[in-house]
Amino acid sequence: MLGEILNTYYLQIGSFILINIMLAISVYVPLSSGQLSLGSAGFMGVGAYTSALLTIHFDLPIVIGIIAGALAASILGVIVGIPSLRLSGVYLAIATLGLGEVIRVIFVNWDTLTKGSVGLTGIPQLGREILEFARGLGFEPAMIGIKNNQFVFLSIFIVLLTLVIVILWFVVRQQNSRVGRALSSINQDDKAAESMGINITYYKVISFTQGAFFAGLAGALFAHVIGYISPADFSYHRAVEVLIFTVFGGSEVIIGSVFGAFFLTLMPEVLRFVSEFRYIIYGILLIVLMAVRPQGILDANLLKKIKIKRSKGGVR
Amino acid sequence: MKGISRKLFSILSIIMLLLLAACGGNNTGSETNTNEGSSNKDGVVSAKFGVIAYLTGAGAAYGEAITNGLKLAQKDINALGEVNIELVIEDSAGKADQALNASQKIMSDDSITAIIGPTLSTEIFAVAPEADLNGIPIMGTSTTVDGIPEIGDYVFRNAVPESLAIPAAIEKAVERTGAKKVALIYGNDDALTKGGFDVMERTVKEMGLEITTIETYQDGQSDYNAQLTKIKNTNPDLILASALYNEGAVIMDQARKMGIDIPFVGGNGFNSPQAIEIAGDAANGLIVATPYFGESTDPKIVKFNEDYEAEFGKKPDQFAAQAYDGLFIYADALKRAGSADREAFREALAETKDLEGILGKFSFDEVGDVIMNVTVLEIKDGKFIEFE
Repeated sequence: MLGEILNTYYLQIGSFILINIMLAISVYVPLSSGQLSLGSAGFMGVGAYTSALLTIHFDLPIVIGIIAGALAASILGVIVGIPSLRLSGVYLAIATLGLGEVIRVIFVNWDTLTKGSVGLTGIPQLGREILEFARGLGFEPAMIGIKNNQFVFLSIFIVLLTLVIVILWFVVRQQNSRVGRALSSINQDDKAAESMGINITYYKVISFTQGAFFAGLAGALFAHVIGYISPADFSYHRAVEVLIFTVFGGSEVIIGSVFGAFFLTLMPEVLRFVSEFRYIIYGILLIVLMAVRPQGILDANLLKKIKIKRSKGGVR
Repeated sequence: MKGISRKLFSILSIIMLLLLAACGGNNTGSETNTNEGSSNKDGVVSAKFGVIAYLTGAGAAYGEAITNGLKLAQKDINALGEVNIELVIEDSAGKADQALNASQKIMSDDSITAIIGPTLSTEIFAVAPEADLNGIPIMGTSTTVDGIPEIGDYVFRNAVPESLAIPAAIEKAVERTGAKKVALIYGNDDALTKGGFDVMERTVKEMGLEITTIETYQDGQSDYNAQLTKIKNTNPDLILASALYNEGAVIMDQARKMGIDIPFVGGNGFNSPQAIEIAGDAANGLIVATPYFGESTDPKIVKFNEDYEAEFGKKPDQFAAQAYDGLFIYADALKRAGSADREAFREALAETKDLEGILGKFSFDEVGDVIMNVTVLEIKDGKFIEFE
């Protein structure tokens, strides 16, 4: 019965949505402390290449590769974060965009390791490794009535879903903690925050590094889901795309990033029936929404209204 | 007032989103419902093939040429009446993840026998392992980088790989000019030009030629004087340029202005009439190898050119021709397989031998790569002619 419901195409889209949600969060977190980072594509690339190279050349388990990828990206985040946090606003955006391009050019030119622009093939695929592992434990997908293929995609989806939920939980918890209050005070006015005794460099580096970590994690997972990466996957187009997820959905609240990534990843697939026109519609949609709701679809006000309505309903 | 209009706007925008989402959902649903497989109708084998092409974005011209070639082939094949082919065309936007989504959509539809595409080598590297695992044959009609058919038993191509085209062109060029020293220039951030360069370097080493210098440029660059000055100073007999035609033509133009008048040898991406349009007289002396020679007097090519122009209002290119032949290869395999079963189809496809297409005799080797003759062309007096 389960075998009939599960469609690998939908699961695949679901997986990309979840990866994009992670990426959107990686922009959202620095943004919540007032830092506009466009380095997400670069950090994603570092995560992806680190994990792919480790698993290809050293036969390391994927889990270790992914963790190493995320850590490599966050270490880079710290190294780059400390000096570049003297910059703010547009200047930081440009600096991080530059960083992303530098990383991409390194991937293109470090031929012996990354195979240049042809890209890395034969990256171990996450779902297939899980299948092998499950088989080692004596489990066959046929036991719950699904095909191997479906099991592969289902397992990827579940892993990603779990990770996204954990990340969301973490970010929400952090927002409601001392750290989150500090970050949002920096966002409002960093001079005022500093005069209140908040160590702004420390908190800025924390949020910047967290962004790098999430982007690296998403990149590593991307590499192991898609099985092939090339520098073109991590160009500034990707950085802008990820930024749009966050801005479109609403950059004030985390649910905005989630919604933006969900909606904008689903959109091109849903619009497949209009074939050549789908990106035109996509573009028009972006323009209309930005004109009407420059703060993004979801913002704090809208959420408050929904909440009030709900509580009113509850009273009645 | 302001508050109300704002509320209205937000409600409207949300409704619009929901509507769009709902429309799309319904549509894809009904599409899969109508896609019922039909293997035998009036004794004619019919099958559905999924096509993944680069239809939106910067390289949409490639995808358009390919789908046009396929549509023309579909019309001609169905008119012959031996087999009946239906095409399901999906866009990949030139991105690996989108191509993978499109391929999943096609693969999850059991009534589809095989896939044609995707357009770019960077896309097929992501899609082919998945297709191979799912047991659905896949054939690239424009993917020229090394190592694609080697991905698996179900992976084929009819695009003439760089490893076939470039050595042929270099050998002919060296034969005539007696070149001993060559300079190389290539775009290092594009998979096609980088793949072409790898083949050039290998060929040059095998032929025992001396490399004077290797220069690189980046996508979108417009000034190549620095690289060309270096090349000029090393005084080579021949320049091997792995470039796309739009960049390559500019390189040639600047080289000629600088007084470099030795021949250029290019790869698959350089072979386009557009190169002459951009570079004008400077394009003279470009040598490329190609399966498709648009000016050929071969009646099959002439007919194809006429039909294509009548149907789509423009001249076909190499990609359209290869796609056209590609669908004929599929049709032939389908006829021999006698059913739309993926497994039977793959076996028949792998046995393709000496199939007479518009580009000449075509066979697959044991891994599913191309065996065919290529023509070496050169640009002389502003026209592509056969190289002698």
